[in-house]
Amino acid sequence: MSGDYLWDGSGEPDPEIQRLEAALRPLRGTSPAREPRLRRPRPRFSPAGWGALAAAAAVLLALAATVTRTRTPAAAPVAPAGWELAWLEGASWQQARVVRETRLGVDEWIDTRESRARLSVGEIGEVRLEPATRVGLLDAGERSHRLSLARGVLHAVIWAPPGQFLVDTPSAVAVDLGCSYTLEVAEDGSGLLRVETGWVGFESRGLQSLVPAGAACRTRRGVGPGTPYFETAPEALRRALVEIDFGSDGRERRAALARALASARERDALSLWHLLSRVDGEDRGRVFDRLKALVPPPVEVTRESILRGDRAPRDLWWDELGLGSSDFWRDWTTRWSDPKAAASPPTQPAR
Amino acid sequence: MNEPTGVTGAPGPSIEARLVAEARAGNRTAFGHLYDRFAPLVHGVLLSRVPRSDVDDLAQDVFLQAMRRLGSLRNAEAFGPWLAAIARNRARDHWRRGEDTVELPDDVAGAPHPEGEALSVFAAIRRLPEAYRETLVLRLVEGMTGPEIAERAGLTPGSVRVNLHRGMQMLREALGRSEGP
Repeated sequence: MSGDYLWDGSGEPDPEIQRLEAALRPLRGTSPAREPRLRRPRPRFSPAGWGALAAAAAVLLALAATVTRTRTPAAAPVAPAGWELAWLEGASWQQARVVRETRLGVDEWIDTRESRARLSVGEIGEVRLEPATRVGLLDAGERSHRLSLARGVLHAVIWAPPGQFLVDTPSAVAVDLGCSYTLEVAEDGSGLLRVETGWVGFESRGLQSLVPAGAACRTRRGVGPGTPYFETAPEALRRALVEIDFGSDGRERRAALARALASARERDALSLWHLLSRVDGEDRGRVFDRLKALVPPPVEVTRESILRGDRAPRDLWWDELGLGSSDFWRDWTTRWSDPKAAASPPTQPAR
Repeated sequence: MNEPTGVTGAPGPSIEARLVAEARAGNRTAFGHLYDRFAPLVHGVLLSRVPRSDVDDLAQDVFLQAMRRLGSLRNAEAFGPWLAAIARNRARDHWRRGEDTVELPDDVAGAPHPEGEALSVFAAIRRLPEAYRETLVLRLVEGMTGPEIAERAGLTPGSVRVNLHRGMQMLREALGRSEGP
């Protein structure tokens, strides 16, 4: 019978195995489910701390979804002095070794030059910086977690509830909505956002792009974020979007729109939905017709309401795209590009 | 988020696969559930390979890597084996890079205080071949059953059963104890 007990705990308990189990139990890993106690934060997370954070994030998310968004003193983050910064050397991330550890303080800037660097995002995530990257820490968590990326490449993994980590670039602000992503900024201030998991909001002066996992979005100085697209989108569509978003010749842009609509697949409804608010007049009508053919809108969404630019029907249509509910990100929409506004108590949900 | 419940009738995606799908879509609560389910597996895989004092930090790295790479996981049903592979690779990297390997004393403030017998038993387990070592740590330390080990680590029940019995036999021999009743 001892074999059964060793296999699945059934049958007559084997006293020897039971004794070993009891003796070895203190070596067991802890998790919130097993040991629901709070631990003092450590410089690096233990699995227990990480799990507790995940649980805390879950609670925060649930609260955020159901309760008017207000901040209580108990939930207010503690302002830390800065973020942990590790400098690494090596030909790749796999080969990289930490050669120096320090902290990056608020209003301090670094340029990685030929090195790599790993930066903690307070206690809510981690950022990896590629060589030739220049970043500054704007807010270490007093009001938000906010970096400025002037140039280079940044990889972010964030495990806090949405909306807590922001990265300013010369042409748009990237707002973490629950994800990991890569953000590149060129010398001329243009940028490229590529999302690996979750969502990122990309915004400038009210122009917003919602970028899901597997999608990318370009941005240009003076224009803001372009139309997001899935990285599997046809090349014709991707090229056309560059012209639509950043071109200056009206005729060229109109021709590009025709190419975009012709090449769009059902999955590219993401891009077409964004175009609804980025073109107007007859062009908007053409986008409506093509998107309707790819993903029929709910009955209450009329051509007239879309042509008028009403947001409510546009959001209703979004919910048909198979990309989740628009409530998810509308609830986290604030004036991201304004640090003071983002730092102030959140606004009511936009809808 | 409510954790998905089991389905009845025609076979559908497992709970883990559904959690993986939701986690990929950015649902951190789902990732938290995955963490809860698979933390013992990751901890056990690491504990059977690296010094105890390094396990917690390495487990953090494993889950961070998993979170980053979740989009590259083709078969959501294979999350457990995939995660275990990340943990085994991370343990190998740990030795290859010569990272900190100083075992902290067990009387470090806040650390559990395993009895002397536990440490000697654990040391005996650590000297067993890798396959037996991992399976025994998951069973005796992490408290997983054989079927759970097979399911979450992506092993066949038969191989886990064999490893458990052979490993237990070798452990008894190493401890100078006879086969149980």
